Amino acid sequence: MSSSSSSRAGVMVMLAASLAGLAVAFYAYITPLTGVTGTLGAMAVIITCLVLAVLSLILPAMHGKIGRILLRLIILAVIVGTAFAASLLHLWWLVAAMAIALVGLMIAIFRSAPAAQPTRS
Amino acid sequence: MDSHRTIARCAGIAGLFAGVLMSAPLMAEQQNTPEQQNTPEQQDTAGQPAASQSDQSNPHANVPLVPDSPTWNSFHGQLNAQKYSPLDQINVDNVGQLEKVWEVHTGDISDGKGDTPATVWSATPVFANDTLYIGTPFYKLIAYDPATGKEKWRFDTQSSREALTQPVLKNRGVAYWEADNPVEGESCQKIVYMGTMDAQLFAIDADTGKPCQNFADNGVLNVDQWNTINPKFPLSLLQPPTIVGDHVIFGWAGKDWAYEEAPAGTVFSVNARTGEREWTFEALPEDVRAKSGTANVWTQMSADEKNGLIYLPVSSPSPNYWGGNRKEDIPLGTSTTALDINTGKVVWSRQWVHHDLWDYDINSAPTLMDITVDGKEIPALVQATKQGFLFVVNRLTGEDVWPIEERPVPQGDGSVEGEVYSPTQPFPTRPAPLLDQSKKPAIWGLADAVGFGQCSRLWDKLTYEGMYTPPTTRGEGALAYPDSAGGVQWGGVAFDPVSQTAIVNTSHIVQTIKLYNREDYKKADNGSGNESGFAPQEGAPYGMRLNVARNWLGMPCWEPPFGELVAIDMHTGDVKWRKPVGASQQFGFFMPERWGSPTIGGPAVTAGGVVFIGASMDAKARAYSLDTGEELWEDQTEAPVVANPAVYEYKGRQYVAFVAGGNTILKDQVGDQIAVYALPEDKK
Repeated sequence: MSSSSSSRAGVMVMLAASLAGLAVAFYAYITPLTGVTGTLGAMAVIITCLVLAVLSLILPAMHGKIGRILLRLIILAVIVGTAFAASLLHLWWLVAAMAIALVGLMIAIFRSAPAAQPTRS
Repeated sequence: MDSHRTIARCAGIAGLFAGVLMSAPLMAEQQNTPEQQNTPEQQDTAGQPAASQSDQSNPHANVPLVPDSPTWNSFHGQLNAQKYSPLDQINVDNVGQLEKVWEVHTGDISDGKGDTPATVWSATPVFANDTLYIGTPFYKLIAYDPATGKEKWRFDTQSSREALTQPVLKNRGVAYWEADNPVEGESCQKIVYMGTMDAQLFAIDADTGKPCQNFADNGVLNVDQWNTINPKFPLSLLQPPTIVGDHVIFGWAGKDWAYEEAPAGTVFSVNARTGEREWTFEALPEDVRAKSGTANVWTQMSADEKNGLIYLPVSSPSPNYWGGNRKEDIPLGTSTTALDINTGKVVWSRQWVHHDLWDYDINSAPTLMDITVDGKEIPALVQATKQGFLFVVNRLTGEDVWPIEERPVPQGDGSVEGEVYSPTQPFPTRPAPLLDQSKKPAIWGLADAVGFGQCSRLWDKLTYEGMYTPPTTRGEGALAYPDSAGGVQWGGVAFDPVSQTAIVNTSHIVQTIKLYNREDYKKADNGSGNESGFAPQEGAPYGMRLNVARNWLGMPCWEPPFGELVAIDMHTGDVKWRKPVGASQQFGFFMPERWGSPTIGGPAVTAGGVVFIGASMDAKARAYSLDTGEELWEDQTEAPVVANPAVYEYKGRQYVAFVAGGNTILKDQVGDQIAVYALPEDKK
């Protein structure tokens, strides 16, 4: 697999995890007796999951090195923050989704570095 | 006086943990004539065994303290206020398998954001007549099938939804009576009673849901017709009456934070069939009633039918935080007072706060229990208090079980004019206090750090000379711990008569009390002042302000836990175990359970070794092991369960009912849910 396709795979994992997290958070927000129904906290993680999805889509389009690093740091902060908030909301499936998103980010980071191209002769 | 308004002013728990979240990304005979009125002047019988006064006229002389069969036909399950059920189908081994077998939503709910005041629903259901009865904060009575929740009937009192004496629409349910010798074919041989905010007591046929025409005025008794002294406000009937034999006995609630002169705290006994007034009781001496008021009974009472006694938890006189208008002795204020059920005559009384300046109302029904201490069987009474004390006395005489000592207390800083202070206050030597109020509460380092030293600075500006530090005009006021909410709230103490273990939940909240002279109060009583706990004490030279000690982000300035469940061995008075109870929650975020939660509502205990309780901020119904305090089961409810659970058996199946009504004191989450649990059919 090429590094760019690996990076895209990482982005796809992040996007899928953020959408799954969004579904969990939305369910918790609208469903009675989840413990966090209609709460500000649940709304907050809905928003952060949406933000994560958008950032995941933006990531492949970032070209500048500094911009990419900055965006990755922001994504990392959103993932960790959402996971922490989810743990305080006792939304364990959302925590799991963020763990997967983190894996996706790692894939995107470590597989996107340019690899040495073999010399053809 | 009903503590809810007071608590609402002081606690503001709704925002308690906002800062944590932000910072850590946080209660006879009928004697129709002459009516007997009983006053403190009649205390010449104090200390006499009660039974002798009514033995000859007591049709309940053989009624055991703990009923022979499971019953939950009154607010605290039984008149002994033990909140105990001998049912053991649900036990420590299988309680984890509990499932919700039915739930209903009454539809009577308001979050207060519209034209209707918020609802605060603390009604423990009553199981009687093979029916589950309950009242709602819109003042409706509803009867349900106990196995399915199917509605049998509903009666609407048509009460106005106006918060006349409380900031919210409040209801703690209904009371049930049935005739010893029912007349077949006649209606109202079984009656459900409920009061309203505007002081109307309704008597409704328990079978049909129709008003009892023989009771008062076609089923409605206007209690406010007897409100003739300082009629500042209606005598709101928010707590269901206590039914003993054919006596319907009730006090009332109002607002002693608002006026120096308030209605005197009369307790009424009326005939269960007719509503005719039998006797009244006044805690205030006659010469005080024109200038003070209250010293009422706004919470549930308990009764020892065999010995012909009813026990009254009496609140403090008005106004709450200044007593210059009531320098006379008021020995029945802030007391537990035992009355002869048939006559209302005082048998004995113990005052738990002398000259109360802290709104330390006695706020829960005393729990009656037979205990064995040093090999001797004692007919005891345990009175929990807002201060976190458990006073244990002989329920027939009022004498100490373990010594209760009068100890010197602070005498003020001289800043309050016209005030006098009691030189001493009573302290029990056993059991130990439920929370440590022996010293100034330690500052919570996390809250102090997040507040950049704000808690430390606040502590420096607070007057504190130990417990019972009087209110002051200086600095940020006096530090009060526990706060006027308690300590222990009106849920009171549950008791397992087999192991002789008492169970009680607590709240740990630090409060500041500051008095303002009239000129300063007018200046302060503007803008946000009212929201931070200002109250006028109109007529008194001082208005006052209550605040919960928090930093700018809303974090409590004192160390957790903020609430606990405590088990006491009543053979010795020793603590068996204590655990943080529930979890605090704000904006949906659950705090660590080791921090516990402030609690409103109380426990129930069963022969299965299980303690059921809601009470916490996190809106959960829970079960704990009676022996160890281990949490065994929990389930999410719609709102905090601010009512004691009801435990009952119907057609061989044991049920536990929780009412999730919420309370704006705990947090901004109200509910109209009754959730009923049982074991699966194949597991019972």
